[in-house]
Amino acid sequence: MNPDTRILVIDDEPILRESLQAWLERDNYTVEAVGSGKEGLERISQIPFDLVFLDLKLEDINGIQVLSRIKEEDPDTAVVMITAYGSVPSAVEAMKEGAEDYLLKPFEPEELSVLIEKIISHKARERENIYLRQEKQERSRFESLLGQSEVMQEIFNFIEDIAPTDSTVLIAGETGTGKELAAKAIHATSHRCEGPFVAVNCGSLPEQLMESELFGYEQGAFTDAKQSKKGRLELANSGTLFLDEVGEIGPRMQIDLLRVLEEHSFTRLGGTRPIKTDFRVIAASNRDLARTVREGGFREDLYYRLNVIPLEMPPLRKRKEDIPLLAEHFLSRFRQETNKEIEHISRQALDLMMLYDWPGNVRELENAIERAVVVGKSKNIQPEDLPISREAEMLGQGSLQEMEKAHILHVLKQNDWNISRSAKVLGIDRSTLYKKLQRYNLRQKA
Amino acid sequence: MEREIIISPIGGIPSSVTVPVRKAVAQNFGLPARIVPLLQHIDFAYSPHRQQHHSTPILDKLAALLPHPGCRILAITERDLYIPILTHVYGEAQLKGTAAIISLYRLSDSNPPSLVQESGLTTQRSLKEALHELGHTLGLKHCPDSSCLMHYCRKMSDVDHKTDRFCRYCRVWLQDALEEDRLSLG
Ligand SMILES: [Zn+2]
Ligand SMILES: [Zn+2]
Repeated sequence: MNPDTRILVIDDEPILRESLQAWLERDNYTVEAVGSGKEGLERISQIPFDLVFLDLKLEDINGIQVLSRIKEEDPDTAVVMITAYGSVPSAVEAMKEGAEDYLLKPFEPEELSVLIEKIISHKARERENIYLRQEKQERSRFESLLGQSEVMQEIFNFIEDIAPTDSTVLIAGETGTGKELAAKAIHATSHRCEGPFVAVNCGSLPEQLMESELFGYEQGAFTDAKQSKKGRLELANSGTLFLDEVGEIGPRMQIDLLRVLEEHSFTRLGGTRPIKTDFRVIAASNRDLARTVREGGFREDLYYRLNVIPLEMPPLRKRKEDIPLLAEHFLSRFRQETNKEIEHISRQALDLMMLYDWPGNVRELENAIERAVVVGKSKNIQPEDLPISREAEMLGQGSLQEMEKAHILHVLKQNDWNISRSAKVLGIDRSTLYKKLQRYNLRQKA
Repeated sequence: MEREIIISPIGGIPSSVTVPVRKAVAQNFGLPARIVPLLQHIDFAYSPHRQQHHSTPILDKLAALLPHPGCRILAITERDLYIPILTHVYGEAQLKGTAAIISLYRLSDSNPPSLVQESGLTTQRSLKEALHELGHTLGLKHCPDSSCLMHYCRKMSDVDHKTDRFCRYCRVWLQDALEEDRLSLG
């Protein structure tokens, strides 16, 4: 049960559609419902869904055809066919075509919830695996914050000022602007520098897993808990707890976290013994958290607890004078890693980089240099080695939005509209890319 | 604006159910609760095909009968309820709305439900489902904690397993919702 789980209902009977939607909403899922196969496919091309309830008998397009189009669009979307008595053979057919399951309407309430839980928990496990992989990659990538621009100098000074205070810091900034690096810098300059720096990415785990990750558990707290385990809150003792993407934290966890911040103690899952903790909290968000509060997605009381000292990381486009320094820095790192004899960045390539607006910020720049080092054939990096689009270059005079749109489109085309690969090239995560596709109304021409 | 919750029995619902439900509702939501029958029958929601009553139109009707904007209604029927997608429901509520209904049909110890005296077990179950559905009208959603009132019960043993209390999370959300409700009514 998680509002992050998106469900789409495709059924041409309004009463069934509405009834299922209302029911699932009470179960805390984010639900949309449409009345035809055409509308359903259109919606799926705009935004990812975890689960689709699809009526086998639709008026416009055959349910099986809709199913195969959905699986083409995103094989990760689970599809459950809704069928009436008498159509079971076609439902079985649909399972062969990749549907996860089918349900006879009307459903037994028990059947419905068991089925959804099964599908969602399977997806949750997959997400956990991805999370663990990502975390491993990120650990090996510790870099210093770089920048000679005035705005970065101000940030360094500010960090020095606030580091010794032990107050909670809320870092805002787009993805790839170095929020975690800033948090590490604060930690390293504080009196807690001898203690641990424990980072948690709040957006990447389902709520229940996040709970055991943060709070730890006692032996027997749940079936898999063969022995007790310390959570990150405990591991962060005497150090700094960094909560990245704090805006993604679930509603239950928000209540728990508020309590920990107020009481400086907590209990492990399945435990009763209160554990005292002493850590500094630094939180980060790439969303406008104040707005999320107004929209009801984040508790106001927790927001005020976190937003004691606000720190804003500037996007790379606002400190373009740092691009040459950063680019050289990344070049020397990737040169070492790959043993390739690339010496410099050509004047033309640098010009192109200065013209470009870097929606994925420093991380995108880093990825761009990495790619250029890998594909580059000459001694110096050339403009064509960079994954920055000509279209974006041409649009140089246009608005930032226009450039971003053109660039995203270019990257998508280069990557055959593969969302994961494109997101990686852009230096943003999949869900951010999906949001941008929606905003710019970008989709693959059939 | 005065806020209150109206317990509205439909047909002959024994006081061994309505009275304890009224009391528990008043206690848990901290609002006055009265027993007022607002609806004489629910024939308009009967489906001859399913031989059950469709709960959603009953909620719409109840919401239209609202005596004043500060109140919420919980109706109690002894008829079997359904929503089109499910074979049956113990109750239904408008999420963040005004009307809720519960059915004694499956909650009752005796079949069909008694119109005179219900057992303590039936009362206990009705009370849990009443608080659960009213919780929905305040915007509470289903809770994964199987002992919490807002837990979604698939079968009767789940209803009997859960306590008659909201878990600590749902308590916080309930307080938030009641506060928001109070402010919005001025
Ligand atoms: Zn419910
Ligand atoms: Zn609960």
